[in-house]
Amino acid sequence: MARFRLEGSKVLAVTLAGGGDVVKAKNGAMVAYDGEMTFKKLTGGGDGLRGMVTRRLTGEQMEVMQVKGQGTCFFADRASDISLVRLNGEKLHVEASNLLCTEGGLRTGTTFTGLRGASQGNGLFTTTVEGTGLAAVLSDGPAVLLRVSSGMPLQVDPGAYVAHQGDLRQSFQSGVNFRTVLGEGSGESFQVRFEGEGVVYVQPSERNTLGGDL
Amino acid sequence: MSGESPVHEPVVFDARTLPVNDNVNPYAFSVDLDGRWFLQKGKMIAYYGQIDFHGIGHGPLDHLIAASFHSPLHAADWVVAEGKGRLLLADRAFDVNSFDLDDGNLTVRSGNLLAFEPSLSLKQSIVPGFLTLIGTGKFIAASNGEVHFMEPPVRVDPQALVGWADCPSPCHHYDHAYLQGVLGGIRAMTGLGGASGEEHQFDFVGQGTVLIQSTEMLLAERNAGAVPDQAGVPGPG
Repeated sequence: MARFRLEGSKVLAVTLAGGGDVVKAKNGAMVAYDGEMTFKKLTGGGDGLRGMVTRRLTGEQMEVMQVKGQGTCFFADRASDISLVRLNGEKLHVEASNLLCTEGGLRTGTTFTGLRGASQGNGLFTTTVEGTGLAAVLSDGPAVLLRVSSGMPLQVDPGAYVAHQGDLRQSFQSGVNFRTVLGEGSGESFQVRFEGEGVVYVQPSERNTLGGDL
Repeated sequence: MSGESPVHEPVVFDARTLPVNDNVNPYAFSVDLDGRWFLQKGKMIAYYGQIDFHGIGHGPLDHLIAASFHSPLHAADWVVAEGKGRLLLADRAFDVNSFDLDDGNLTVRSGNLLAFEPSLSLKQSIVPGFLTLIGTGKFIAASNGEVHFMEPPVRVDPQALVGWADCPSPCHHYDHAYLQGVLGGIRAMTGLGGASGEEHQFDFVGQGTVLIQSTEMLLAERNAGAVPDQAGVPGPG
């Protein structure tokens, strides 16, 4: 079965045993391989016809390839840091652009996130990964994992959000007031508030967001 | 199944286990906020607790600006975080470090300063593009690659300079011998005959510390504020 190993923090090595051993990876993220590998572009994120239509409609498009073969395949993307996430039946929410690789047994899909996506400029939807196995998540700089539990909600800048897992509710929090309108905004007017039980992955960097300058 | 895959259990932080005024990793810093801090706009990545962010302008924060900025001119790039909780700061995945000033002064390139305690006061440096912190307290600065501390006398590459503490003498230095004569002139003008790109440095002497980053890539400069356009004031125009 596929074995995931991090080479340093920015390269993922996946050893495939051949046969039906497959992983799904971000299109074009292969940097090297040994052995025999075949790469097949999956249309519409590899979620089937329905998934393809959903991804088109939601703008959460994901260029995914299926990697099959025997040997070791190395993946990397713009020197981004990689975190491995083990899933045991729970669901991982991640931005499509931050998902590097998933084990063959994991299912991917799309889900509605609400206003967080809108403020991030990433659309209103996010990608979900479900099942049992490992997923590799990309972040600009090593991701910081922050636990959310009852009585300890977490606020995250939309530009620094990467992924989350667990039973979390997210709501959009805005600090826009008359000062923002006057051009005296704080630059931190929009936050996503996570409540419940789970873990949120944030990156030590901010994507440019629509709300970022307010 | 991938049971045998060597995956280290990652460290998960929460409001109690996040470091107190220390680095979470080389790229993220956790502030134990109880009161106020100044941040550069857009450097907060996450927080626990009750924290409000105020843009700086006229109004209830006027006295704070008077105490900590002395000049409203560059205040627009700064935010006051007010409340109680743990605050995570980061900047484009650059290295971040905290520094303590004890009744001292430190001058830093405007784009490198991330946050500081209000017990410090921030002023424009006479050197254009630099800011000076004076007083006692903690501040956080970003650098491209880790920061190294040098003792003067030292000459540093302009692009590698992050800042300096307590040295009163930052000045330009040119390699005179290399640029001497007709050949030297041609070299300097055209690069023919091998300009090393290292003919010009900043020179520091005296008592103090010079901070350099381990790259020559500059961080984008922040507006350090305009200075009054008057005789004897370097920088304007």
